[in-house]
Amino acid sequence: MSEALPDFKLVRPETVDQAVAALGTHPNAQICAGGTDLIVNMRHGLATPETLIDLGGITDLKTITQDKAGLKIGAGVTLRELAENKAIAGAYAAIVQAANVVAGPSHREVATVGGNLCLDTRCQYYNQSHWWRKSNDFCLKYRGDTCHVAPNGDRCRAAFSGDLAPALIVHGAKVEIAGPDGIRYCDLADLYHEDGANHLTLNKDEIVIFVHVPPTDAVSTYDKIRVRGAIDFPLSGCAVACRTTPDGARQFTLATTGTNSRPVVVDIPDPLGTDDDADSYFAALEKLVQKGVSPQRTTTTAPHYRRLSVGALARRLAQNLTNTQA
Amino acid sequence: MNTMTKSKTSAAGQPLPLIDGIEKVTGQAIYTADMDGRDCLTGRILRSPVSHGRIISIDTSKALALDGVIAIITGDDCPLTYGVIPIAMNEYPMARDTVRYRGEPVAAVAARDAATAEMALDLIELNIEELPAYYTPADSRAPDAVQLHDKKPGNLEREVHHSFGDVADGFDKADLVHSEVFECAEINHAQMEPHAALAEYDTERDRLTLHSVTQVPFYVHLTLARCLDMDSSQIRVVKPFVGGGFGARTETLNFEIIVALLARKVGGKVMMRLTREESFVTHRGRPQTRVSLKIGLTKTGQITAVDCEVVMAGGAYAGYGLVTILYAGALLHGIYGVPNVKYDGYRVYTNTPPCGAMRGHGTVDVRHAFECILDRMARDLGLDPFEVRRANLLTAPMFTDNGLMINSYGLGECLDKVQAASGWQDRKGNMPKGRGLGMACSHYVSGAAKPVHWTGEPHAVVSMKLDFDGSVTVLTGASDIGQGSTTIVAIAAAEILSIDMARIRVVTNDSVITPKDNGSYSSRVTFMVGNAAIEAAKALREKLVNAAAKKLEVAPDDIECEGGTFFVAGSSQSVLTFQEVAIAALALEGTITVKGAFSTPIEAQGGKHRGGAVGSTMGFSYAAQVVEVDVDIDTGQVRVDKVWAALDCGFAINPLAVEGQIEGSVWMGLGQGLSEETHYEKGLPSHANFLDYRFPTIAESPDIDVQIVETIDPLGPFGAKEAGEGALSGFPPALVNAVADAIGLDANFLPMTPDRVLAALNKKRRAARKAASKKEATS
Repeated sequence: MSEALPDFKLVRPETVDQAVAALGTHPNAQICAGGTDLIVNMRHGLATPETLIDLGGITDLKTITQDKAGLKIGAGVTLRELAENKAIAGAYAAIVQAANVVAGPSHREVATVGGNLCLDTRCQYYNQSHWWRKSNDFCLKYRGDTCHVAPNGDRCRAAFSGDLAPALIVHGAKVEIAGPDGIRYCDLADLYHEDGANHLTLNKDEIVIFVHVPPTDAVSTYDKIRVRGAIDFPLSGCAVACRTTPDGARQFTLATTGTNSRPVVVDIPDPLGTDDDADSYFAALEKLVQKGVSPQRTTTTAPHYRRLSVGALARRLAQNLTNTQA
Repeated sequence: MNTMTKSKTSAAGQPLPLIDGIEKVTGQAIYTADMDGRDCLTGRILRSPVSHGRIISIDTSKALALDGVIAIITGDDCPLTYGVIPIAMNEYPMARDTVRYRGEPVAAVAARDAATAEMALDLIELNIEELPAYYTPADSRAPDAVQLHDKKPGNLEREVHHSFGDVADGFDKADLVHSEVFECAEINHAQMEPHAALAEYDTERDRLTLHSVTQVPFYVHLTLARCLDMDSSQIRVVKPFVGGGFGARTETLNFEIIVALLARKVGGKVMMRLTREESFVTHRGRPQTRVSLKIGLTKTGQITAVDCEVVMAGGAYAGYGLVTILYAGALLHGIYGVPNVKYDGYRVYTNTPPCGAMRGHGTVDVRHAFECILDRMARDLGLDPFEVRRANLLTAPMFTDNGLMINSYGLGECLDKVQAASGWQDRKGNMPKGRGLGMACSHYVSGAAKPVHWTGEPHAVVSMKLDFDGSVTVLTGASDIGQGSTTIVAIAAAEILSIDMARIRVVTNDSVITPKDNGSYSSRVTFMVGNAAIEAAKALREKLVNAAAKKLEVAPDDIECEGGTFFVAGSSQSVLTFQEVAIAALALEGTITVKGAFSTPIEAQGGKHRGGAVGSTMGFSYAAQVVEVDVDIDTGQVRVDKVWAALDCGFAINPLAVEGQIEGSVWMGLGQGLSEETHYEKGLPSHANFLDYRFPTIAESPDIDVQIVETIDPLGPFGAKEAGEGALSGFPPALVNAVADAIGLDANFLPMTPDRVLAALNKKRRAARKAASKKEATS
């Protein structure tokens, strides 16, 4: 009923160390958690790992803990578990909301935090069958030498489409990465490059194992533009966090998804002061977002719409946060 | 002919769960792809990588040399065309000489497993010389365009020119004339079950058995006989459970022939399970359609004239195309009084997958334009949209100007019901900002009065068997594709025989067992097969009554049958149970088999003009609906909050199924209205999966208030008409009309995706700014 899944060896490590070791010892190995994206890509011939390293057996990665240092989310936590976590729903609303709008309920049941953060970039010229891509001379991201989105450009424009990343980024999240040289930390925003064919800054044999989110005094929210209220990846998505300064001004932190090959942090330099005209402030914020993103012809929905709508969405989310905090 | 009206109902009219529902919801139902594939080879199709080209060579030698590849076939293996319309068979199962769309089959492999088959496809060397390709009717019809098919100049598959009454005079008499052009995107059925077929060839007896996902096993049977050049008696076609059709499977599809050719070549069993992408590429959906429509109205809203031009991008082959373009014109009639009508239809070949029949075949996009324009004209005339419709109601019985027979007509009652239920009078015009109400009407045929394959046979035959165990077995070729036809047949038997449904089993869709049936399309099954089932049950009842009369020593006329018993009218003593009567009847002749048939009356078969048979039917269903929307003017997103739908289905034999069909129709209309469309990248389908082909999810599905109107059609089974399609085509215009009410935007496109809505809003804003500045400059 579907294209044949290629043969592969399945390895099920029980610890992070075993997983990293397995990546090093098995040639052409790839890690797999929920598999909601990878298995589809494998059936499309977009990934041909000889070995799949299933992280599902590593119980250490399946916990969410919260203490004075903040929030620690295991990469193996499912999106449903994150979406249903009432303890963090207030302080980290954007994160919970983002988890809750990924795909559909059955995806969220198995899809993981780590999987969503490391989600492959997407493009209408890439997420197609082997027959389709072959008929179109393949593409720069895989097996071809032309980007059909921007044929004159020199890089792949495929769009990052994870919902969680912008929500975590506006909360200042860091990721904990395990690799052959041990553990390292990096800002989540720095996990990504603006290159659709190579959008993750992970080194060889590295695995994202935890997300650390500092304690927060901000309110936050996430929403995305999509044609349907379920299943769809974001045409564009936007997370906004709002901190109130001691003098009562509102400082916004904003990140988008679906608009570029990486999540984009849109710099909002000035806060909304108590004496400022809110309407013109938010109109300017909308323009900043529209200017800050760079949607391309990666989906069947026109880039222009995605630019306009993410601006409108950002403005609305920022306004709503201002109003709820008032 | 059954002329029975609603009376003494025991089964008919009761809301009953579908009798084959248990298998489906418990996962026990065996669909084609679930069939035992242990000793099967896997079949896969190699598809054209180009939109239009001349096949220079196909080299299969490397693929054949691959271990595990058993056979490869190409267009050379079948020199015979096929197609559902006998005068328009222009498709080969696998292309010969010329390919005309990306995805057209060019070769097929039978291999020991799917991975081997896929490797083999990659090893087949195709040499195709590319030719110019056209993706829009305008490009296909351009003066310098090459011809995609012989003898089809201008790449016109079929043009239709019909005129009834005096159209010029009609427009002269109008107080208001309004014309607009609507663009409706191509859509696909997106049925849940992807295509699949299992073919087995018995080399000892030279016999072929095919199991397939079809809605029309009879047409598949005929096509296999034709394309494999076999005597039809040597073919057996079985339709297992089918996971949805909606018209995708109302004609024989290439893979059904290809898998049979492969099975014969290997002398064994081949299973073919198409991917979702391949199911999309096989297409047969609703064509991209441009409707240019002009309507004339009097001040009171009466239609004086209609002028309609329709251009359809039909895809690369004929398929049902000529029927589609004829339907589009024919069903301008039959819903309102339209005295003067001109219709010009153009079905154009394009280098995309062939279009075909889809729920509401041919009518939906034209009805969309019609209902949108009526609303806009009502606004200009200061009339309520309901008033305009009421000003044009028909009175049954009657014949339309194009010869369509109407014996029952419940549109007025449908209007009353949805107007009241939606609170239209109080709420319309008083909605909060961004919210609006819209309405529209629609209709559909209850089966085509003339089948596409005209043999003179009855349209439907149902057999029944009563045997020693006291059970009644009903045999029907009617294809239940989820619409509930098997249940309808059982209800008809239970009602006429006055027995419990538990005593009845229905056996369906095996050509060696069940009577031939034309198939499930044009909403024909309830009307035709339902009537045939009633006739069969009456024949059986007559035998039982005779046996009861003999046993009770009275005349057959004195016997009544009710509640599972036979008794002498007016006597409480002389009562026989069904079992007692069955034993008595069987004693007379052994196992009893009877049959019933249904043929359409000649007067139902349409006008005498060319193409007049299309649109002809025994009765039309009628529907009205109101849609409530909420529009986000910043993002262009349209949310449907509530739908009120009323359908005149004559009589609801199974109200539960009717309700489901109305909800399903509304829901498919919602998909076409809001978000569904195909996208091709130079002929490559970018939409061919359930992520990018955006049918609504449960998140978009509004509360649907369903009301059933019963007009008891004189020819319908128990008075019933169709219920599965009529409520579809009212949804998209009701949606667009509601958006106009909400934000003042008159949209001339489908679907109403957020990007289109926002672009139209911005265009309107720019125009308003321009007008304002012009005014400023001149003042």
